Amino acid sequence: MASLPKRIIKETERLVSDPVPGITAIPHEENLRYFQVTVEGPEQSPYENGVFNLELFLPDDYPMEAPKVRFLTKIYHPNIDRLGRICLDVLKNNWSPALQIRTVLLSVQALLASPNPNDPLANDVAEEWLQNEDNAIAKAREWTNMYASKQ
Amino acid sequence: MNSGSDTQESVGEYPVKKRFFNDDLDTNREDPDEHLDNQDSLLFQTPIQIGSNESSNNSNEVKELQELILGLSDADASKLLANTDPKADKSTRLSDAVGVYFEQQLSIRKPKSNSPKTFETSWQFPWKKNRKRTELDQSESSTKKPRSSVEWRRFIGSVQVTALATRPTAKPLKYGGKLTIKQSSPEVSSKLYYSNGRKRASMANFVRLIDIELGREVGRVPEEIATILFPFIGSNELNFEITMIYCNNKRLSVGDSFIVQLDCFLTSVVFDSSLNGRVASNTSSPEKRGFSQNVIESEEELRQKGRRLAFLSLFDRVKLQYMLSENEGPTENISDTTEVIDLDEDDVDAYETDVSDFIKPTQIQEDVLNVNQLKSLYKATLSMESLKNLPETDPSPDVFKLTLRRFQKQGLTWLLRREREFDESTSLSSEEDVDGDMMNPLWKQFRWPKDLSWEAQKKRPADLKSKNDDEFFYANLHTGEFSQTKPILKSLVKGGILADEMGLGKTISMLSLVLSVPHDKKYNCSEQMGESNTPSIDLHMSDYVKPYAYKTTLVVVPMSLLSQWQHEFEKSVSSPDIHCEIYYGGNNGNVRKLLTQVKTPPSVLLTTYGTVQHEWSRLTNKTSGQIEPDDMGLFSVEYFRVVLDEGHTIRNRNTKTSKSLMDLSSARRWILTGTPIINRLDDLYSMVKFLRLEPWSQVGYWKTFVSEPFEKKNYKSAFDVVSSILDPVLLRRTKQMRDVDGNRLVELPPKEIIVEKVSFNRHEDALYKYFLNRAESSVKEGLDRGDLLKKYSTILVHILRLRQVCCHADLLGSQDENDEDLAGNKMLRESFNASKAVSNEYETKALVSDEEVQEIVGRLYEKYPDQNKFRDLECSICTSEPIDPVTQTVFTECGHPFCEMCILEYVRFQSERQQEIKCPNCRSKFDPKRLTTVKESSEGGLSLVLYDTGSKSSKITSLMKSLKRLQDACPGEQVMVFSQFSSYLDIMEKELCASFSKAELIVYKFDGRLSMKERSRVLEEFAEKDLSKLKVLLLSLKAGGVGLNLTCASKAYMMDPWWSPSLEDQAIDRIHRIGQVNNVKVIRFIMEHSIEEKMLRIQERKRTLGEAVDADEDERRKRRIEEIRMLFE
Repeated sequence: MASLPKRIIKETERLVSDPVPGITAIPHEENLRYFQVTVEGPEQSPYENGVFNLELFLPDDYPMEAPKVRFLTKIYHPNIDRLGRICLDVLKNNWSPALQIRTVLLSVQALLASPNPNDPLANDVAEEWLQNEDNAIAKAREWTNMYASKQ
Repeated sequence: MNSGSDTQESVGEYPVKKRFFNDDLDTNREDPDEHLDNQDSLLFQTPIQIGSNESSNNSNEVKELQELILGLSDADASKLLANTDPKADKSTRLSDAVGVYFEQQLSIRKPKSNSPKTFETSWQFPWKKNRKRTELDQSESSTKKPRSSVEWRRFIGSVQVTALATRPTAKPLKYGGKLTIKQSSPEVSSKLYYSNGRKRASMANFVRLIDIELGREVGRVPEEIATILFPFIGSNELNFEITMIYCNNKRLSVGDSFIVQLDCFLTSVVFDSSLNGRVASNTSSPEKRGFSQNVIESEEELRQKGRRLAFLSLFDRVKLQYMLSENEGPTENISDTTEVIDLDEDDVDAYETDVSDFIKPTQIQEDVLNVNQLKSLYKATLSMESLKNLPETDPSPDVFKLTLRRFQKQGLTWLLRREREFDESTSLSSEEDVDGDMMNPLWKQFRWPKDLSWEAQKKRPADLKSKNDDEFFYANLHTGEFSQTKPILKSLVKGGILADEMGLGKTISMLSLVLSVPHDKKYNCSEQMGESNTPSIDLHMSDYVKPYAYKTTLVVVPMSLLSQWQHEFEKSVSSPDIHCEIYYGGNNGNVRKLLTQVKTPPSVLLTTYGTVQHEWSRLTNKTSGQIEPDDMGLFSVEYFRVVLDEGHTIRNRNTKTSKSLMDLSSARRWILTGTPIINRLDDLYSMVKFLRLEPWSQVGYWKTFVSEPFEKKNYKSAFDVVSSILDPVLLRRTKQMRDVDGNRLVELPPKEIIVEKVSFNRHEDALYKYFLNRAESSVKEGLDRGDLLKKYSTILVHILRLRQVCCHADLLGSQDENDEDLAGNKMLRESFNASKAVSNEYETKALVSDEEVQEIVGRLYEKYPDQNKFRDLECSICTSEPIDPVTQTVFTECGHPFCEMCILEYVRFQSERQQEIKCPNCRSKFDPKRLTTVKESSEGGLSLVLYDTGSKSSKITSLMKSLKRLQDACPGEQVMVFSQFSSYLDIMEKELCASFSKAELIVYKFDGRLSMKERSRVLEEFAEKDLSKLKVLLLSLKAGGVGLNLTCASKAYMMDPWWSPSLEDQAIDRIHRIGQVNNVKVIRFIMEHSIEEKMLRIQERKRTLGEAVDADEDERRKRRIEEIRMLFE
């Protein structure tokens, strides 16, 4: 295991000392590049009151390369597929080394607040979202209650 | 004077002759050598010889002479007459003869006179006389000396010899008849050789077969037999019994051949040890040391040589072979095959060819070793088993603070044994264990063959019963010495070579010895002037006896290790009475006073090779006047012990350094080296000489037994000798060795070597191509014209340039301190201008015009109106805040600040993936050529300039990145950076200081330019742990590659490759050695598609070829040319 760049240490420290509201990211004991992340569903979204588990991994080339983020909790979202993969520009082409773990997770939270069915990853969900938004939202709420309820 | 007389028969002398031979025969029967002690019978020999020249009508003159001198025998009379002028008249001759008679009477008592009567003893084996008194006047040789009498003799073999009849015989020679040999003319010895030592005359002319019964000569033997017999005629070292066995049963005419059996016996005389010692005592006299090569062989030596060759030939003839080892070899079958050899006429030719082989009997079972086998053979000389079972010695904690490892304790036992410190103490060992019972390699063991002589076969055992019935005897065929007891190789030298592999703690081992035995316990101060050795250096003061500094060990080290030794000493010493002083540079007081007149002299005096050499040169150059003992510095005393660290420094015995060290006087001598052989076998010679290992320390011996066999590719023989020389005095353990329990001697943490390929930037690429073209055309020219050798140095300059471009363009024009071949080459300066030309050309093509730069900078100034703001900017990539030092700040066109390293890495990363290069902060595209950076003036003012990507060397950039990452991750690390260019170290120092803040990273530099004090300060500071900072030690491969112990670091960067991998391995071993607890990681920066990649390939090649035992200088050059070819393929 290669040693940890100072930037990662700095970010980790700040995530602990100055946490983002509604988001936690805890590094794994054995691999400090692997984070267990929870994101609260934004208010006034179908995901409200849900707590979603994610995993975040910082590749060797971080921060030149974007972190890898994936939902572990099942979620009904047009930009998140059944495997939890996320379609988000800052995790892909729009990544910049100036971005950080916290900004990425904020972007993820924002994605929950505003699903974008026009750039879908889960096609069936996106279709539902476009054709019958209420149904879709209801289903999202239902899934949130089913899989992501706080306990 | 008796030329042509051989075949002429003189009837008149017949009875006289007969009488002589009867005498001879009689004595021969009882004691074959008694006649040699009988001066009378010898006297008879001469008149007969001479008498044969005279005509028989001299007989009345004889009678007249007998009347004049009463009691004169016939023989004496005719002998006296023979010495007179035959052309003179009778009365003159008679009076002359009377005169001669009385002169002779005198001369017998007066040995120095050269009267004719004395020559018969002077030609016979003068070396026997010289054995004990080589220094005596040669002309004294005629003095009669007591000869060792033959107590017994023993059969060693028989040969059938085809002899040629030289005189006709009246009837066939009797089968079984006894013959004997004698020398036909007494004066031959001086005629046998030319002054250049080549054999002049055929020995067969001088060796005659005499039929004992007939009492006269009957024939001669072939030359190859004569060369064997001749040196032993009259000697009692060997007995020959000759028996007539075949003459075709008819009377012989001149020229007829007949066959005799020659039975050979060694007599007790050859085993006389008082005689055998002579070779050593003869040659070891100090006057002769070193000259043995150039001295023209004296007559005496030529005779010796004849005798040695005769022994060799004889042993070969009788098929007496030495035993390969004590328990195997041709033992039984020897006695079986030593049947009488049949010799047909036709076989003579075959024998002729054999003769040439006699000279090198050791080649009988020669098997040629290739160069690599040689290396392994060297390793095999170390008997692993005995090493494993060496007892351990723990140094007393009262004197030695550190704890030794197991093998080091064993090493201490060995060291103490070598100093004979166990003699008086405990039951730990007896001396035999140290030296083993290794047989001197020059000696061979022989089994006495079964007696197959004529006599023995006729069953007369009582006659032949010898007094000894040992099974074996031993012979040194090189010197012609014999012994009945096994000659044990015993070195009396106190000291030796500790040749443990690098990193096994030679220094500590030696210190444990020094501290355990800090002074000569046996030496009594009161007998101050007592046992001091004579100083070997002639410094116009032969009467000065060096006082014995019996409490001091002198340690000679390379300059770079001086402080390390001191440090190690202080770490290990626990007694306050024992201290160490440095004798170097300004700190060199009066050695003699310091060591012999102070109450507590330093136990260890540290000095450098340079200091010793310097003082020596000063002393030897001083031509006038007496040298005061006080001026002699290091040479003014005899030390208790001298230790040479990195002792291979003296390997070239012609260097001043080597010569100077030979002249240090000491009771005990040690050499520490991890690489006893650097290039050739002869490297060992200097060490042997330094240790004063007799007799090998004499060039002549070494040449004869090591160098020459080696040059003749007789590796086995050379190596047998080398290993038996070194085995008792050399201890070598390698890291791979295992102890009794099967554990490695040293478990070192794993070592990882990574080759990091770096690609050229555009600027470097242009420069490299420019120089590559020039180099290639030069090499091609050389190859086409076949004079690559002549252009050798030119081509090396070309190659050097290419290597420099790989490192940093600013290196062009500097020298490579490792490459001695290049010193002072004129081309070096010329190239510098060329590089300027290239860079100018490059710069005119620059894409950013001055106006554009003004525009970019102008916009930035608008954004940052206060230039001091530059000092607290944050890099969003590494989140460093502020960017420190400020000159590391690089702005994109959009005005966002980054660290230089971060933004360059980003640019590289993006372009590698062919992604757009956008500002990480605002995502606006930017052109990496339009970056700007902050420039700090000497007053601290800040301004913006265009950032020049080409000015940075790619390698340094890679190093920076790697260090940055390391500093990021583990800030407390210590790192070594090696380069062979001192000026490269300077550049790196500058750039590192510019790129890292003082709080992050400290740079140290260690190279040949540092003084001793600076060196130790640098190493001390570097070794100090500081968890907040990265410490970087820049080392020149040459100054820092050997000896240093830098285990505090576990990472190393090799900036540039060197031709031989061993130098780099040595450097890496600075950190990969005992004491290293972390995994070692080495990164080697290699420029892609450059000469460096090819150098790596050459290194591989060298590894497989086994560079350590390169044959010679020519070979080395040849290989380098081959390498050059490889470089430009």
